[in-house]
Amino acid sequence: MNEHPIIEAIDVHKRYGAFHALKGVTARFYPGEVTAILGPSGSGKSTFLRMLNRLEKHDAGQIFIDGIELNDDPKHLAAIRREVGMVFQNFNLFTHLTVLRNVALAPMRIRKVARKAAETRAMALLERVGLADHAHKYPIQLSGGQQQRVAIARALAMDPKVLLFDEPTSALDPEMVNEVLTVMRELAHTGITMLVVTHEMGFAREVADRVLFFDQGSILEDTTPDRFFNDPAHERARAFLAQVKHGF
Amino acid sequence: MDWIRHHPGAAIFTALIGLLIFLWGMAIPLSYAPEPIGPAAELFAEGTRVTVGLTVVSGLAGLVLGVLVGLGNLSPIKPIRWFCAFYVWVLRGTPLLLQILFVWLVLPTLLPAQWSLSDFTLAAIALSLNIGAYNSECVRAGILAVPHGQIEAAKALGFSPFQTFWDIVLPQSMRIALPALANNLASLVKDSSLAYAISVVELTMVGYRIQAESYQPIPVFLTVGAIYLILTTAFTTMTNAIEQMLDVGRKR
Ligand SMILES: Nc1ncnc2c1ncn2[C@@H]1O[C@H](COP(=O)(O)OP(=O)(O)OP(=O)(O)O)[C@@H](O)[C@H]1O
Ligand SMILES: [Mg+2]
Repeated sequence: MNEHPIIEAIDVHKRYGAFHALKGVTARFYPGEVTAILGPSGSGKSTFLRMLNRLEKHDAGQIFIDGIELNDDPKHLAAIRREVGMVFQNFNLFTHLTVLRNVALAPMRIRKVARKAAETRAMALLERVGLADHAHKYPIQLSGGQQQRVAIARALAMDPKVLLFDEPTSALDPEMVNEVLTVMRELAHTGITMLVVTHEMGFAREVADRVLFFDQGSILEDTTPDRFFNDPAHERARAFLAQVKHGF
Repeated sequence: MDWIRHHPGAAIFTALIGLLIFLWGMAIPLSYAPEPIGPAAELFAEGTRVTVGLTVVSGLAGLVLGVLVGLGNLSPIKPIRWFCAFYVWVLRGTPLLLQILFVWLVLPTLLPAQWSLSDFTLAAIALSLNIGAYNSECVRAGILAVPHGQIEAAKALGFSPFQTFWDIVLPQSMRIALPALANNLASLVKDSSLAYAISVVELTMVGYRIQAESYQPIPVFLTVGAIYLILTTAFTTMTNAIEQMLDVGRKR
């Protein structure tokens, strides 16, 4: 594995008023790594993920993405957001734009790619997620699973080095979960760095290289899927796994 | 209407062409009408064109103003917010007629003498300021109604604040605000009649003069009313069609 981490979070804290949501999180992520972030509700998983592209600001500690420090400097922020893509639980596709335009817009605006080239590339990405036939529809005309695949294509269009997923399948009907996981599984083998907050234990176990277990604003376990699922070190992790096994 | 929904582009085109033909062609059939309408056909046509001119100019200026003030109302900078709130408060809280008279009498004294704005221009300024205040409230509500997830998605992709506004927030908020903005425009067609008070010869003023000469208010004002109805119908058809076109992403 590469010497230099692509993401480095050092003793990061986040407070919402009096509530201490992240209590000194330190973690390094290396290029090509696929990390599953697990943990009970409210443990700070989303907060951590959203801090990495500054949808939330951290109050203390340092974050480096590809060596660039994440801070109030707009140049740093612009550079970092170009490198880091995000896939949301509720897809958040631009509702007033066609699928093709959703995917092509960011490269046109931010990377100043010509429209023709951006749309050709967008078509190729839609092909890859199996949705080329739907390019000229509007998001609302697609199923949840299809919308999430478009959202993944949209994030990929910026050629990010890192993709953040915040519960990408949680808003989906059960029969649509697999089509999205299949796309993510294929992505995992392309060398892109993935951080995936998920409740899909199968995905964490089979696809992830690494598991982070969050509990009450801290990383309680940072280990391999194998060890996490077969021999967790902490009682809280065992309790979490027992609960997950029995369904929610 | 179903037809507008299915063919919004054709509806806009038809309404627009219809309106233009009406504006420049109405005098011909009207001239065959009996006294006192027929002889005054050209005056009616001219007054109608002034009314539509006032509506279109003030409607467009009021739209730009509405967007700017609506945004200013949401600005993080307090003095801008205060100024915009004050403007909306004053313009919505006083009579339009008073505003027209005020602009007509006061504005020229504030400007260099060689500018000498026409009555039409002064009326258009007053109407723009008035509809702009109402529009700004619709725009503000529209902007606030854009789901936060849309803005987060744009940020996460690397859009600058301006790009996020221009490409995502503005089009979506306009789509939300459009029915209310269209409503304001329909009122503007009628409110422009108040310009008669500063002797702009628009449609209502034409009617007033003709009935005063002919002592026949009934046929004159029926004609004027019918023309207003044709105008509001044309404008409503166009705004409905634009609404349909902008609505594509929301319907299945
Ligand atoms: N904007 C906010 N204001 C106040 N509190 C917040 C805010 N966002 C998150 N929190 C709190 O911070 C804690 C961590 O939230 P976070 O969303 O990171 O949890 P999570 O691990 O992602 O949980 P879930 O599995 O339910 O998504 C929660 O207790 C939450 O209530
Ligand atoms: Mg969460």
